[in-house]
Amino acid sequence: MNAFLEPARSEIANTSPSRRGALVTRLMQDGATPDGGELSDLIRRVADDQDRHAYARLYSYFAPRVTSFLRKSGLPANAAEEIAQEVMLVVWRKASYFDPEKAGVATWIFTIARNLRIDHSRRSRVATAAEATPVDNEEVAPSGEVLLLVAEREASVRAALGSLSEEQAAIVRLSFFSDKAHSEIAQELSLPLGTVKSRVRLALGRLRTLLEGQS
Amino acid sequence: MTIHHHATDETLMRYAAGQLPAAPARVIDVHLSGCPACRARVEQFEALGGALLEQIEPAAMSPGAFAAVLRAIDATDEKITKTVSSLSSVGCARAPAMLPGGIGLPEALRDCEMGPWRWIGIGVRASVITLPEDSEARLMLLRVGAGRKLPEHGHFGTEFTQVLVGSFADEFGRYMPGDLSEMGHEIEHQPIVDQECECICLAALDGGMRLTGFFGRLIQPFVKL
Repeated sequence: MNAFLEPARSEIANTSPSRRGALVTRLMQDGATPDGGELSDLIRRVADDQDRHAYARLYSYFAPRVTSFLRKSGLPANAAEEIAQEVMLVVWRKASYFDPEKAGVATWIFTIARNLRIDHSRRSRVATAAEATPVDNEEVAPSGEVLLLVAEREASVRAALGSLSEEQAAIVRLSFFSDKAHSEIAQELSLPLGTVKSRVRLALGRLRTLLEGQS
Repeated sequence: MTIHHHATDETLMRYAAGQLPAAPARVIDVHLSGCPACRARVEQFEALGGALLEQIEPAAMSPGAFAAVLRAIDATDEKITKTVSSLSSVGCARAPAMLPGGIGLPEALRDCEMGPWRWIGIGVRASVITLPEDSEARLMLLRVGAGRKLPEHGHFGTEFTQVLVGSFADEFGRYMPGDLSEMGHEIEHQPIVDQECECICLAALDGGMRLTGFFGRLIQPFVKL
């Protein structure tokens, strides 16, 4: 690792504590919302060059979102941030395991966060079941084709989500992020349980129709 | 293997979102290993998770959070390679448990422990599967004799049943190896195992803490429900 003393790292190490904060801030303020291609490029730079500027961009974009996701899943604020920090640490360590043929960056990070949250809630001793890769034993298509398929899947899911009504999108968000049972969601929205269930079913049905219409 | 009975979208979404409890999640793991269609759905729902993650209102991080992660990176960089290699062998040490007829447990359950077969009713035996990630989880194998008819039953939570060996039929069709039967609590059904051979299923209940149905009474004696 010492052979890879990249600029940002040595810069931080050589900076007096009083100036460190400013440097960290500067590292993190690099431009606007990154798109999918930029995100995979940032991951590649972290994987290949341990590039801390790239990592800072990823962190500033994802850490607050992962924290927010974990809070919505019912974790208290401090636990949510703690696990989000772990998630971002995994992003650094496992950047080379990121496979653009399998998923987009946001999807990959989402699955890391999901798995660490599950581990946390089950207090598993096998903590890194989190990073176990799911079964995949299908024959592999040529990689250009796969990349296109992944990009299409990511794009079509986003498009489908965008064309749901606000109410349906809210139901999808709620049932996706919250670990609450439908009965609790029903209470929260002051709706009968049957109504919540049928709305979830309808929203998912619409999502499926939209996704199938595009493919 | 053609799959005729799949998991519902709602279940696959909960699985992808990490909301499904451990035991039903394992049943889905087994189903996914043989069902490309459901795997593709899960990938879509994971992509949905990615999209929702990007759209979410970002939370404020506490001051110094980024610097703390950088310190953690510096502190742990050296040990990464070791931990990765040692953890990859977890779950491989145990000899795989066998089902009758010399068939191994599904790959997705290789890290689990399988209890002894116990008689729990005429023509019905069950074995409790213990999960390393959740000792409280209630996952079991059911082994029902050829031609056996189970009394009509409903259940409190959703019942997930994945056919491993043999086949059964109920009001909703015939279930062959690879098929998943997902029965909501509002549904009453009466499965009948086909005549040719006994049927072995992997079964889990979601939210079944106060079971009154047949399945619940069946397993009550030896799992603490």
